[in-house]
Amino acid sequence: MSERPSLWWIDWRLSRGPLVREATGRFLFFCLLGFALLSLILSGGAGRFIADRYAITAVLRTEVPQAEAEGLARKVAALPPVRSAAYRDPEVAWKEFLRAYPGMEPLRGAGGNPLPGYIEIRIRPERLTGADVRLVTSALRSVSHVEQVLAGDEWLPRLLRAEHIVSWAFRGIFGAFLAGFFLVCRLQERARAVALAGDFAFLAERGVPAGRLAFFRAAGAAVSGFLLAAAGTAAGGGALFLSLRTFPFLENVIGPSYELILPRTVAAAALFSLVVALLSGAASLLGWMAARSRRK
Amino acid sequence: MIEGFRLGVFSRGATIWDGLDFAFGDAAAWLVAGPPSSGKTLLLSVLRGERRPDAGDVVVSGESLYRGDASLVRAWRASCGHVAEHATADGRLTVGDLFRRSAMAGGGVREGERKERADRLLEMVGLPGATEWRVAELSISERVRACLAAELLRGPKVLFCDGVVAGAGIPFREMLRGLFRALAREGNTVVLAERAIPERWALAAGDGEPVGPFRVYRLPGPAAAVKGEPG
Repeated sequence: MSERPSLWWIDWRLSRGPLVREATGRFLFFCLLGFALLSLILSGGAGRFIADRYAITAVLRTEVPQAEAEGLARKVAALPPVRSAAYRDPEVAWKEFLRAYPGMEPLRGAGGNPLPGYIEIRIRPERLTGADVRLVTSALRSVSHVEQVLAGDEWLPRLLRAEHIVSWAFRGIFGAFLAGFFLVCRLQERARAVALAGDFAFLAERGVPAGRLAFFRAAGAAVSGFLLAAAGTAAGGGALFLSLRTFPFLENVIGPSYELILPRTVAAAALFSLVVALLSGAASLLGWMAARSRRK
Repeated sequence: MIEGFRLGVFSRGATIWDGLDFAFGDAAAWLVAGPPSSGKTLLLSVLRGERRPDAGDVVVSGESLYRGDASLVRAWRASCGHVAEHATADGRLTVGDLFRRSAMAGGGVREGERKERADRLLEMVGLPGATEWRVAELSISERVRACLAAELLRGPKVLFCDGVVAGAGIPFREMLRGLFRALAREGNTVVLAERAIPERWALAAGDGEPVGPFRVYRLPGPAAAVKGEPG
């Protein structure tokens, strides 16, 4: 037998029952938290919801030929903040107008269609900021074919501020749940450290340094925290994927399911698991210290 | 060899003892007898490297425990077994758990091997099939023997037993004597602290050496015991 006993998973070896119960509870919690995190990442808080409903309209001059208008739409679509730019010719514009205001057919008298064509521009949810909207509108205003740019300049700043507040509120709620996890985790770790105090004293009496015990307990908690968070987030992601597939209308609010496997989403989930690992390790250390100070 | 040089301990506002010299040779069983409150438990904790003496030093195999490297104390403690006078009464633990944590302190033993050895050791101390018993439900005698068996699982080079002979009770004294002799024969050192040496043991061990409030006996091996013991 070696003189330095392995202290990896020491809590597991000393007290399996309570640890299994705790791990099951944490896994279920991470499933919910993972679901919420991925929903938050995909939706960008309220960003996607608003971006889906916000559009910049570039009203073209009446004499602009269709080919040039479509070419302009393609150029606008190539701007980084733009998600889509679609040209609507005067006929489509007229039909849309009639759908919105039925009974206005007499307006189209001898003079023909009074409406010009226009380009409808939608912004990427993550780029829906005042600066990016200004970038697109200023680019459009400099084009001679464009008669007018309608971008909601009066109310957009207020809308963006509201979106910002809502997004931060969502993040705050998520952070509060994470903080709650940390507090509960710390209490559980402390209770376990108290329950196992006799075993730790036994080991310390037999030459196992208390610092080493605390370190390996924290390391074990961090590793298990990482694995549980990763597994919980994966399960939560799976549930979100199924939800988006089953209820397509959710994609308008949360986002398309394929974004779940984008590198940035996976990186965010990995970062979340790392944060949970750090919190678990810290909770273990704090729980250990609290249990020891209580004994003293 | 465990040596104590000019050991002194100050506790509860008084000097318990001072200037005591001890020498416990290897591969032998030793018994330190002393009256209640004479500091036997304290002496064992000083010898185990658990409590720094207020005067003097403990030297193990030529190395100072308290003036040397801290890693030496840890290594020394890791090589020691200890059965306390008030063995654990943790209601959560079963006898099997005592073996589990003892194995852990020893660096881990495979589960199958641990169970097999635990069964053998429990049978040896008169507790066959006690693995699932709760420690809190054991009598003092059973508890002491279970703790002793659990310590032996690791095969410690040095075994410190505090009040084990008295705790185990008269019916188990001779079994314990045989066990300590066997351990000594295998090259281990056993240091017992008791209020009094059992009569039959004293006949074999002689008068012992007085050291402060204590009397230190070297328990003879089987051959010497046969010579010294009547009947």
